[in-house]
Amino acid sequence: MSDLSRDEVRGMMADVLTKQGKTLPAGDTTPLDEIGFRSLDFSELALRVEDEVDAELNFDAPGLREIRTVGDVLDFIDQLLTA
Amino acid sequence: MTLPAGAANRIVSGDTTTTWQDLALVDLPGAAAVFVADDLDAARVVWTHATGSRETLVAAASRAEPGLVDSLLDAGLAVVHLAGDDIEVTASPTPRPPEADRVWLLTSGTTGRPKRVGHTLASLTTVGGQQPPRTWLCPYTPGAYAWWQVVTLSLNLPGQDIVFVSPQDFERWPELARRHGVTAASGTPTFWRQALLRSGETLREVGLQQVTLGGEPVDQGVLDLVHEAFPAARVSWIYASSEAGAAIAVHDGRAGFPAAWLDRDAPGRPRLRVDGDELLIASPHRGAGIDAELHTGDRVQIVDDRVLITGRLATDEINVGGSKVSAAQVREVLLSHPGVAWAAVKGRRAPLVGTVVAADVVLSDPSVTEAGLAQWCAARLAEYAVPRRFRMLDSVPISESLKSDV
Repeated sequence: MSDLSRDEVRGMMADVLTKQGKTLPAGDTTPLDEIGFRSLDFSELALRVEDEVDAELNFDAPGLREIRTVGDVLDFIDQLLTA
Repeated sequence: MTLPAGAANRIVSGDTTTTWQDLALVDLPGAAAVFVADDLDAARVVWTHATGSRETLVAAASRAEPGLVDSLLDAGLAVVHLAGDDIEVTASPTPRPPEADRVWLLTSGTTGRPKRVGHTLASLTTVGGQQPPRTWLCPYTPGAYAWWQVVTLSLNLPGQDIVFVSPQDFERWPELARRHGVTAASGTPTFWRQALLRSGETLREVGLQQVTLGGEPVDQGVLDLVHEAFPAARVSWIYASSEAGAAIAVHDGRAGFPAAWLDRDAPGRPRLRVDGDELLIASPHRGAGIDAELHTGDRVQIVDDRVLITGRLATDEINVGGSKVSAAQVREVLLSHPGVAWAAVKGRRAPLVGTVVAADVVLSDPSVTEAGLAQWCAARLAEYAVPRRFRMLDSVPISESLKSDV
């Protein structure tokens, strides 16, 4: 779909949090609960990515997964972008 | 006094596990609107109501806005704030005897002050007969129609336990469900999408036998997702509201309901009709004083043999993951910012929550930032009502009719 890099997506994730006065830590292992990254934030990140790549992301792709950490979010978006 | 049939059912809220009949009663005035700190307090109020002759409204403490509180007092209800052992009672200036067995629900109040809709425990109990024993997850806000549906099911049918989920535990409910042996759960499509995305592997270990969706349009995508995740479960979608009551229940795994159900008269069942592209419902479960045939404001589309509910008719309501937002109210907040000259607010389709609030803005102060606008709104609106995407425009867009595109 696009070659939007992981670092660029991470930057967008940081923007979502910064707007709310929160900070995205440097590593990938921080749990989302700890930084207060919630469903609406996830949706906003997806919209930012969609606007950037000018295509819709399909969150309904089948398969069960666990998204608990910053790295899980970045992996998931990457997976959608390369699908 | 005969206790409700579900008196021995188990209730779990936070660290507390008890039964209905073991709940401590609350010393309430006969006619009372009770704002509660958590589900356990709400359950105590329900049990107090169910074992007395009372008139009760129960709602989350977050809903106790001054205008609403004044209107409840004016209506003859005492207003009570309850948090565990702490109870604060404000008497009505015009107290009156309770209307026995009356339960009041509050509408969402998207476009103004919430309205009271009258029910009884009986009218809120829409599931009857022989039901398999189940442990229900209840993630809804205390006092909402969907909350009452789960609560009355447990209160009135033996073998129907409840595990309540508090807002702070909302995003880790799959772990709670696994720990407490939940076998049935009801939530919005957003609730399910979020859970499957974030905790799919944990959910696989939860033995769900019943999965219910409602509160937002239910599309085929989310039904397929849920079916795939829980192949052994019965998957249902429900159309219900405090005004209409529980009106439609579909269990065949397909979006929408059979067109054959339109204009059908069946004893004890709601009558469904389409007028133009609006769904009309005449339900025996409707609230007191609600029109016999309710104009739902929901837009429908008939495709082959199904009636699909596709959204709302012309309205300023935006449904963000089941929470209703007034676009006009958000616009008003934006326009109250000293650096904003013009604003338009709309819903934008988004993954996970279905729709988010988006705003187009023309600034009078170019130093205003998106973050600044978001923080301005966050200080004045519920979290789900804060615009998630802003578009800064150079000038006010004018349509061919010379009206601004609001």
